[in-house]
Parts: sequence; C-alpha cells; structure tokens
Amino acid sequence: MTEAVVDVRELRKTFRVTEREEGLAATLRSFVKRRRKDVNAVAGITFRIDPGEIVGFLGPNGAGKTTTLKMLSGLLYPSAGDAKVLGYVPWRRENAYLGLMTLLMGNRTQLVWDIPAADSFRVLQEIYRIPEDRFRAAVNELTELLELQELVHKPVRNLSLGERMKVEFAAGLIHSPSVAFLDEPTIGLDISMQVRIRRFVAEYNRRTGATILLTSHYMDDVVALCKRVIVIHRGRLLYDGPLADLAERMAPYKIITATLHDGAAPSTDLDSYGTVVSRDEGRVMLRVDRQVAPERTARLVNDLGDRLADISVEDPPIEEIIDRVFTSEQATVSA
Amino acid sequence: MTRYLRLLRLFFRAELQYELEYRLNFVLEIVETAVVTATSVGAVLILFSYTTVLNGWDLGAMLVLLGCFYLVQGFGEFALQPSFEKFLENVRLGTLDFALLKPASPQFQVTLRYFRVAQLAQMALGAVVVAVGLSRIPAIGLAEAIGFPIALICGFVLIYALLVALSTFAFWFVRVDNLMALYWSFMDAGRFPVDVYPGWLRVTLSSAVPIGVAVTVPAQVIAGRLDPLGLGFLILGTIAAFILASRFWRIGLRSYTGASA
Repeated sequence: MTEAVVDVRELRKTFRVTEREEGLAATLRSFVKRRRKDVNAVAGITFRIDPGEIVGFLGPNGAGKTTTLKMLSGLLYPSAGDAKVLGYVPWRRENAYLGLMTLLMGNRTQLVWDIPAADSFRVLQEIYRIPEDRFRAAVNELTELLELQELVHKPVRNLSLGERMKVEFAAGLIHSPSVAFLDEPTIGLDISMQVRIRRFVAEYNRRTGATILLTSHYMDDVVALCKRVIVIHRGRLLYDGPLADLAERMAPYKIITATLHDGAAPSTDLDSYGTVVSRDEGRVMLRVDRQVAPERTARLVNDLGDRLADISVEDPPIEEIIDRVFTSEQATVSA
Repeated sequence: MTRYLRLLRLFFRAELQYELEYRLNFVLEIVETAVVTATSVGAVLILFSYTTVLNGWDLGAMLVLLGCFYLVQGFGEFALQPSFEKFLENVRLGTLDFALLKPASPQFQVTLRYFRVAQLAQMALGAVVVAVGLSRIPAIGLAEAIGFPIALICGFVLIYALLVALSTFAFWFVRVDNLMALYWSFMDAGRFPVDVYPGWLRVTLSSAVPIGVAVTVPAQVIAGRLDPLGLGFLILGTIAAFILASRFWRIGLRSYTGASA
C-alpha cells in the first residue's frame, strides 16, 4: 500500500457561535450578554487519499467541507482527531508543509487588487523561495495552460471574474504544490470558463501528479474530474467511494426515457412499467427499481413495438442522487 | 533576513507603481502634506514671536521636536497605517487566511505589506524642519549626534509595536476601527513636547501611547536634555515592547478562525 498523501482520522471541529433572535430587543440583550451554542461543524470523519488522486468532496452548504479543508491546510485547529498531509500535521503550520500545499478559494482572492498579477507572482516567488529558473518555468507553464498572456500585466481590478479566477489559480500553484485543496474553484463562473478551469485542473493533475481535493456545487466539475467522491452531511461522512458506484448505492433506481412516434397518448397506460416522472410531447420518463430495469425495458420495447422511436436507460442525474442523500439522511454508508 | 528585505523592496515597488498610476492624486497628497507642515511650522513661529522659551524649549529645540513629529507621523502614515488598515479589513473578510497559508512570518506579511509612498514627502519635510531647528542650536556634541538617530529609530519601532498590540484586539473583537482612530488622534497630540501637557495626559501620552516618547525623546536628545542612561532605557524598552507586542499578536492569531466556515 502506498503512503497516503492525506490521512484523516476521526477529525472533529466544534465551533462556539453566538446566537440571538431577530429584533432590536434581542440585539440589545445580545450586546450585553451573548448566548453561545456549540456547533459540530465536523463530527468525526475518517478518510485517506493516495498520491495523484482527484477526489470530489461533496455536501450541501454547511456540511463541513470548508471547515475540513481549512483544518487540512492548517488554518484551523481541530477540536479532536488526527490528520496528516504529506506526513505533516497541518495545523502546526511548518514552513516545509506550507511550501508543499495550496488552498484555493473560489470566493476569495489573494491577489492585490490594484497591481498586476505579475507583481504578486514576484512576491510569491520570494515567499516560497522559488529559484529563478523554476519560477520562469512555472509561470510559462501556467500561462500556457490557463491562457493568461496579457492578463498578468493588467491590474487585477480590471479583470473579469473568470479572468481573475484563472490568475488566482496561477498564483495558488506557482510554487508547484504537491497537494491542492480547491474550495469551489468554479463558483460564479460562466459555463465555458467552468469548462476551461476543469480542463486545466485535469491537465495539471496529469502533468504534475499533484493530489487534489476539490469541493464544488457544480456536479459537472465532479463528474468531469473525480473518479472518487467523499460525501459529507452535517459533519458526518455519508459515502466514500467511486463516483460510478454512488448512484448504485444511493439511488436504487434507474430512469427509462422512451420517445414515441405518435406522442404519448394519454390512453397509453405506462404505470405498470414504473412510476411516471414526466410526460411531455412524445417523451416519457419512468422511474423503475434498479433490479427490474432490464426486464421493464425489454417489456416496453416489446409492448410499444413500432410506436417506439427511441429508448434509453440511465442512472438518475447526479444532482438528484445527492439531493436524495441529503434529504433522506441515510445512515452512514461507506464503500 | 535578506529574504524579508527583498520582500519589503517588492512590496514597496508595487505600491510605488500603483501610486504613480494616479499622478494627480500623488501630487496632491504631497502638496497637502507640504501645506499642513508649513502651517504648523508657522504656528510655532507665531508662538515664539511672543515668547522665547516654552517650558524650557526654545525655538530651535521646538523646531527639532516638530520635525521629529513629522518624521514619526510620516513614518506611521507611510509605512504603518496602510498595512494596519488592510489588516483589520482582512480579519473581517477572512482574507488573512492567505498570509497564514504562506511559509513566511504572518506578522511580517500583514503589518509591513502596504505603503503610502507619497507620505515619504512628510518625512522629508520633517527632516528639513529638524535640520532648520538644528541650525539654530549652537553646538551639538558627538553623543547627541549618535543618540538622535537611535532615539528616532526607537520611536518608529515603538509606534509599530503599539499598533501591533492595538490591532491584535481585532482577532477577538473583529471591529476595532475606533481603537485605531483613538490612536491616530493621540498621535496628533505628539506635536508638542509631552511636558507641556498636564500630568495625567502626559502619563497617557508617553506610557499607554508612546507617541510622546517617540517624538519627544529624540528632540530631548538633541536639546541635551536626555542622559545616556535614559537613552539606554529607551533602547531596552523598545526591544521589550517589540517582543511583547509580537507575542501578543501571535496569541491573538491563535484564536483567529476566519470569517466563514
């Protein structure tokens, strides 16, 4: 077994937060005396990640994803539990470790607003003690992969959101880290920019062999990049395993989509094949149990005969699976 | 250490580039500084047209003091205020995280990051006023000539340590803008020698807020009103203040948790 790059055991983080009701009176009361409550942001999670993996870290808002990433990058002390990244305990914040990792946050920028990114890169070169030749090589590579060219010479405030994110990526990766934690790297970007960032992450991982742990609300990011996903909800681990198996474990059904030549006439009774999810202009979607999907499909093809223009059997969309997981609050399922 | 000096140079260069981009603003800031300095020099000259000595300070010593005030205040506005303002903002927004992710001293990265280059003009004017004041003082001994710059540097470091200590409260209370505003207004009081103020205020100015020390002591050195022992205490006190403030800051940093989860 190879040495894990990220090794997390029973990691916990409890925050003490101030609570108050709405309204002026409550605000005044809270000004004098704060009522505090403990919140278990991360309630004991365990996982490991091998070198070169890209793992998707999924969960709804407030699931504990960012808190976990912050502990792994040394920004937060855990309340309990252990974690090692590249053999270091992250929250000791040893310079040797900090030089080997990066944390990119899609909603925050580390670049100085008023100066061109190229100047910020020079500062980073000095901070990370990157020798000139390696610095140039890294800048060239990132410029090529991210199509930065003239972007790095404009003041950051003049860049569009997508451009800024590309430059942000370059700044975060300029020291060629072995581990990258990406927190919502495509948030707020348009589709084509999302696609480019995704392509970049995949290519970067391929070229450098960096280990990547990524959170995203866009399932497309996860589907495009991650073979493996870790799902957490309310600070607990719900699933850890191949993305491909997530559907099987979490959604015990398939979607059959049948397109009819003559339009799905109301008289056509499809309820005996499965639950009709939607029905419009000649297209019917049915939800059927996973086990009986092949048999139902065969029967549909048989029964509908010539009226059938097209038929497909698929896993439900990944968003739907995840949503189901989070709303149904299943017990822990691990692969 | 040389890495930190190189970093300082890079920070400074970036700020210079930025400020030169807004030429008009840059020039206006320098003009404003010149006007403010000239008026307060004028005020001192008027004051001394009625009297020759103010609580033991004659015109020459008073000009040296005023020059020191502009040197120290200029230093504060040039090198410290911009970074500390950004620091408070970073605590609020959670962008301080980025400094903590880097393999370099967070305190250095945060507190010496930004400069207002135009304020160098204030320091230059301060130096001119000091020089004029010195020209009116008949004889300056070697001890005074050596002691003066040392006292001045101690003044800079003291102001820095004070700001570090004050800004540390941001880690716990997040919004401490008022605390900082209080500091800047105390700063203003430093333009007169601390011994002209009533006792209670003098104590506040020179202990809790060492601006009095930062400004008055260098001038006292020149005026021959400070003995070597006093200077020695100043140096030791400065080093202690710097170390304590940095410790305090690190303790504060530990309770920093970022603006969001």
